Amino acid sequence: MTNKIIPQRDAFWDKILEKARADKNVIVISADMGAPSLDVIRKELPSQFINVGIAEQNAIIIGAGLALTGKKVFVYAIAPFITIRCLEQIRVECGIMNIPMTIVGVGVGFGYEDSGPTHHLLEDIAMMRCLPNMTIHTMTDSNMSSSFGEIAYESNSPNYIRVYRQTLPDIYDKNHDFRKGLSVLKKSKDYYIVSCGSMTHTAIEVSEKLAKNKINIGVIDAYTIPINQKLFLDTIKGVKKIITMEENFLPGGLGSTICEILSDNEISIPVKRLGLPLEKAYCYEYGGRDIIRAFYGLDNNNMERKIKEFIKK
Amino acid sequence: MIITEKLIAKLEKKSDELRKVILETCIKAKTGHVTSSVSCIDILIALFHGGIMNFDSENPQWKGRDRFILSKAQASPALYTVLADVGYFDKKELEKFAQKDGKFGVHLQMSVPGAEITAGSLGHGFGIATGLALSAKLNRELNMTFALLGDGECYEGVIWETAMFASHHNLNNLVAIIDRNFLCVTDFTENLIAEEPMKDKWESFGWRVLRIDGHSFKEILESMKDIRSRKSNKPLVIIADTVKGSGIDSICYQPLWHAIAPQGQEAEKARNCLERRRNND
Repeated sequence: MTNKIIPQRDAFWDKILEKARADKNVIVISADMGAPSLDVIRKELPSQFINVGIAEQNAIIIGAGLALTGKKVFVYAIAPFITIRCLEQIRVECGIMNIPMTIVGVGVGFGYEDSGPTHHLLEDIAMMRCLPNMTIHTMTDSNMSSSFGEIAYESNSPNYIRVYRQTLPDIYDKNHDFRKGLSVLKKSKDYYIVSCGSMTHTAIEVSEKLAKNKINIGVIDAYTIPINQKLFLDTIKGVKKIITMEENFLPGGLGSTICEILSDNEISIPVKRLGLPLEKAYCYEYGGRDIIRAFYGLDNNNMERKIKEFIKK
Repeated sequence: MIITEKLIAKLEKKSDELRKVILETCIKAKTGHVTSSVSCIDILIALFHGGIMNFDSENPQWKGRDRFILSKAQASPALYTVLADVGYFDKKELEKFAQKDGKFGVHLQMSVPGAEITAGSLGHGFGIATGLALSAKLNRELNMTFALLGDGECYEGVIWETAMFASHHNLNNLVAIIDRNFLCVTDFTENLIAEEPMKDKWESFGWRVLRIDGHSFKEILESMKDIRSRKSNKPLVIIADTVKGSGIDSICYQPLWHAIAPQGQEAEKARNCLERRRNND
């Protein structure tokens, strides 16, 4: 018998439902987005569920007011709209005022694949990570999602939870400690891929393929930004090269974060960033995530080839 | 609250006194929104000195306090002046407004006792105030929330998202006061994009609407005298007709007199205007 995988979105809201039942200060604000556990909160705990309608900016500022009085606020909407559309509200309320609230965006990267570029979210890591006080969490699997619910509930500062729309298979066990901010999924003394979320699954696949060619590449799942620098630097100590993989435009994304850490710590390790080049701009290809990734040169074969070339240099 | 002639006379005296403090604060700093501040100063005086708001300046975080949110945060000189006047902090701090070693600048800063939030970008404070009012409802707390909005601020689309939200949730513990001075930065509102009929707009968004003279203490106090015992479920918006630069005739009701502190001869003229106002000339 195989265990049914719970979608990351549902694993997260299941945890928040559990918290909401125990703590009436938990308030979920939805910009007209649903989920099975949210339906339960809405019916069972109506005073703790607020649907603001399709009004993301208002969701953030109403949430800020509630959070100022000690409410544990979770604001939920389609990812590009609850981040970029209301970035200035997030900047003032979270970045400047440091009001502890959790922003939950569903459909990061190419989550809304066939909906086109308005629904793709390819800039959020860059935009959100330059805000002081903000912690970004990218879900890689459902055990992690549940844990992020716990971490966000206990947090006294703003959090942004990046949720994939598609269900990603579980790779962690239930008791894994996600408070460290990153996990080494596969060790290597020479090379590492650093990735998060959906790309971590791709990184595992690519590293397994390369292992057949006797290239041992480790995988670091960097699910929390700001990155745990000490743990990261300890992990990559002495390696020859680092590859970063992300479903974000390259400027300011995960790869940039890694380069900044190395630069700031005066560590000379060549880095190859695999992500979305700005030159390719936005994508109007349809037919699923693989086709869209191929448009940007991020299909598995292409990435495998680029990594091999980078390692040989 | 009993509205007596004595109370009104006291507030009118404050009105002269604090206008002068605002003007001198900004002249010294060579910055600050003088005209925006004196536009709403009488409303603030009525709230803090007229017995409308419950607060404890010695305990700014007192849980039972009414919340005052200055959404049009460019009027911070007005709020800082009133907060100092009611004892939240030493009045001498105003002399360092927007200067080296000062504790606050041109816009609103939440670290200042009584300021509640950091603001400056328009449209935020009203939503935060609405969240505060909703929280009080959820917690069955009796405190009120007051938000002061600029009429120029009402161009921000999010104001109307919040307005719809507040009436839907029957937040009758929320009072929005609009400083309706008919001026934005470069021109009169009705020349930019007409905001009238403002009363109809707010009514259609589900609010109880009053329109008053925002420089008449009698009308301001009357508009809020039953604020804790209203029978309506609707939030209340008070459109307060005001004059941008009120009391300082040399700079009042003029486009482009925004975010400027008069200097040199302009400062002298402004001082003389206030002196004439005080002497009822």
